[in-house]
Amino acid sequence: MVEANKYVIEMHDIVKTFPGVRALNHVDFRLKEGEIRSIVGKNGAGKSTLMNILTGIYQPDQGDILVKGQLIKPMTTEKARELGIAYVHQHSQLVPALSIAENIFLGDLLTEKTGFVNWKKVRTEAEAQLSELGLNVDVQRKVEDLSIAEKQLLEIAKALFANAHTIVLDEATAPLPKEDVQMLFDFVKRMSAQGVAFIYISHYLVEVFELCKAVTVLRDGKKVGDYYVCDLDQPELIHLISGEKVEKFHREHHKLNGKKVLEFRNVTKSGHYENIDFALNKGEIVGITGLEGSGKAKLVRGLFGLEPSAESGEVVVDGSIFNAKDPEKAINEGVAYLPRDRHGLGIVGARPVSENITLSILKRLANKLGFLNLSKEQKHVEDYIDKLGIVTPSTNQRVQFLSGGNQQKVVFAKLASTEPKILLLNEPTQGVDVQAKVEIMKIVDQLSHQGVGVIIISEEIRELVNVCDRIIVIYNGEIVKEFNTKDRNTTPEKVLMAIEGETKKK
Amino acid sequence: MKNRKVIIALLDNLIWPLLIVTIIIFNFASDKFLTTFNVTNILIHAAVLGILTVGQSFTMITGNFDLSAESSLAITALIGAWLILPSGAPNFGGDVFLPVGLAIIALLMVGVIAGWINGFLITKLKMNNFIVTLAMLIVLRGLMLVISEGKTMTGLPDSFKALGHDNLGNIPISVLVMVIVFIIAHIIMQYTQFGRNLYAVGGDPDAALAAGIDPEKRIRQVYLISGFLAALGGLMLAGRTGVIVENMGSGMIFEIQAAAVIGGISLLGGRGTMVGAFGGVLLLSVIDSGLSLMRVSSFWIEVFSGLIILVAMMIDAQKVRYSKIPSAKNETSIKEI
Repeated sequence: MVEANKYVIEMHDIVKTFPGVRALNHVDFRLKEGEIRSIVGKNGAGKSTLMNILTGIYQPDQGDILVKGQLIKPMTTEKARELGIAYVHQHSQLVPALSIAENIFLGDLLTEKTGFVNWKKVRTEAEAQLSELGLNVDVQRKVEDLSIAEKQLLEIAKALFANAHTIVLDEATAPLPKEDVQMLFDFVKRMSAQGVAFIYISHYLVEVFELCKAVTVLRDGKKVGDYYVCDLDQPELIHLISGEKVEKFHREHHKLNGKKVLEFRNVTKSGHYENIDFALNKGEIVGITGLEGSGKAKLVRGLFGLEPSAESGEVVVDGSIFNAKDPEKAINEGVAYLPRDRHGLGIVGARPVSENITLSILKRLANKLGFLNLSKEQKHVEDYIDKLGIVTPSTNQRVQFLSGGNQQKVVFAKLASTEPKILLLNEPTQGVDVQAKVEIMKIVDQLSHQGVGVIIISEEIRELVNVCDRIIVIYNGEIVKEFNTKDRNTTPEKVLMAIEGETKKK
Repeated sequence: MKNRKVIIALLDNLIWPLLIVTIIIFNFASDKFLTTFNVTNILIHAAVLGILTVGQSFTMITGNFDLSAESSLAITALIGAWLILPSGAPNFGGDVFLPVGLAIIALLMVGVIAGWINGFLITKLKMNNFIVTLAMLIVLRGLMLVISEGKTMTGLPDSFKALGHDNLGNIPISVLVMVIVFIIAHIIMQYTQFGRNLYAVGGDPDAALAAGIDPEKRIRQVYLISGFLAALGGLMLAGRTGVIVENMGSGMIFEIQAAAVIGGISLLGGRGTMVGAFGGVLLLSVIDSGLSLMRVSSFWIEVFSGLIILVAMMIDAQKVRYSKIPSAKNETSIKEI
């Protein structure tokens, strides 16, 4: 049994200053053996800095770190590893092209005296070690074929083989599919019962409530406190995180004039989605939700021309048949798309805010010879910075230096600049903090008031229920249910049930 | 945070203090350094280098590069001369006797075609840009040997040599052309839709695509530009030296890349300006001239050229380091814990 009250990690009075910012201000943190603790806070609250100090990546300006009661000074990444502290990142440190077994023995392959690798032994050893942890998997599967949750399991397993007793699970930038979360959490709980402590960093408070007993709240580099999750509800925790009462955004439904701006007519792409048939009205916000891989994202990516379009059926935009082969054409036809991966498709980090905002409308700012009207551009950019409340020191600031929420607003400014008729949003509030989420939803609301038809692809059901007029649930590529949010019977729980395929089974 | 921005701004503009310090040092080392004669020589050296650096910068800003530029330069000059000159010693031409004007147009076309092939292979067949342009570098150099049979062509007509050889008043035409090319490139990059697209494509091709830009089309276009400018450089170099030798421009690609990178054009793509690249071209030309004036042995000049490339790449690597957001940096800095 786990010995109670034995601290594996004690961090005392940690101070860390980066030029211009006090990232951590006299922070204390203690973790008991076998405990699952969450650290929460807004972007920039100091969560990652604290963990980077714990694992020796950064050196604190002040403060002590004790591991199992022993003062460690200085902490280095090597020492952290030796002492059994592991850092599992969202971005996998595994080698994708190699198998699970090869990844487990990476750098220490079991070789014969002749110097050749004994592959059979590698496989059986890997299988044996994993099954000891209760994981029965085909160790010959390639890591690139694993889901995110499976990769995380593997990384935790690797850390455990290296005798880790404290594992930091860094912030999931994407919500995992429900069953994967369950699998991951079950495993974490089982390991914790055996005495392994976990530090879980996440924006997804629902998961925090589900997994952890206690939570440490950081705000602006200071510790707000440690709390048992049973003493809190979600709004209270949000309040602690932001320090101010977060105004809860609830959208007023405005009257729609019933003019269709987008129609899917029996759109099918076999293997991805089938017989998709629905209409989007002017000024309407429709949420499309479903499990990861249900086809919801493929549908909008196909519409925007980022993927080969549907095989049969037709899409009608504003009364005429629409078939965009590439984004350029889609944008010209009045369709704008907010990608799920802001860093991959949304922003050009190395270029200034101004160039990012006008990237899709350069044609409009240029004369016939392609010369840009720079003063017109500057005015446009200032307009949108003002309208969307983008916080940036200047229009020349490189976007990579803005916070996540402001980067997302820059992407919104770019989309809104094209004056779209239809706005496709793929997980618009992913990886931004609570405050920014509300602001972003307000922007979406404003656009809908101007008559833009909006489709939100999301797995954050509460948010969809708050913001959308209707919610469409896709399961296995087919529309299985539609909810009207004006209907009081539409609750997040019911939507969730539909997402998991309840209607399908009946 | 603030600090990092200052460091990046410094690294981006490092070329100018470097250039000034270098000039001051050479001026102390040799009293002949800042004479009209020597400055003119520096600029003439900068002319061909500059034109090729502009082409290279276009490709680099889109996140590519064109290693074949030096071979394009050589083979275009060779083909131009071959189309004009009679066969047999000492000309070794092709007995085509094309008028000079047509021959020049033809040689520029050859450069454009070489660029088109590069762009086609990279974007349509999705081949790696390093391998494609490296192969093209070797193929074009080989073709040059096939056509010339390793012989040196001489006796180029004056009209063919004019661009690289003649003066307009006191100023060499080649220098004027180089400056004009830089000004046009600068205007394109800073004030046109095309230039903005190039920065976006190099900064993040996926984001550019999602913003309605066709990254592959832009990449094909910059290779056309690079091929054209390599041919223009070839014409100028042929005019300056008056002969076509089989190793013409050989090894120049390193100088070209070093000039662009030290001038702030990043190998990462999406970063750097033509003004900076111009500074890079001046710096390399100044160093080349200064070392010769100081009678440094050509062996040591080799060593210095290598060091300059190392310094350029080092600056670029630091830029990459400081551009990364801290969390991203952590992810790469720790391997397995």
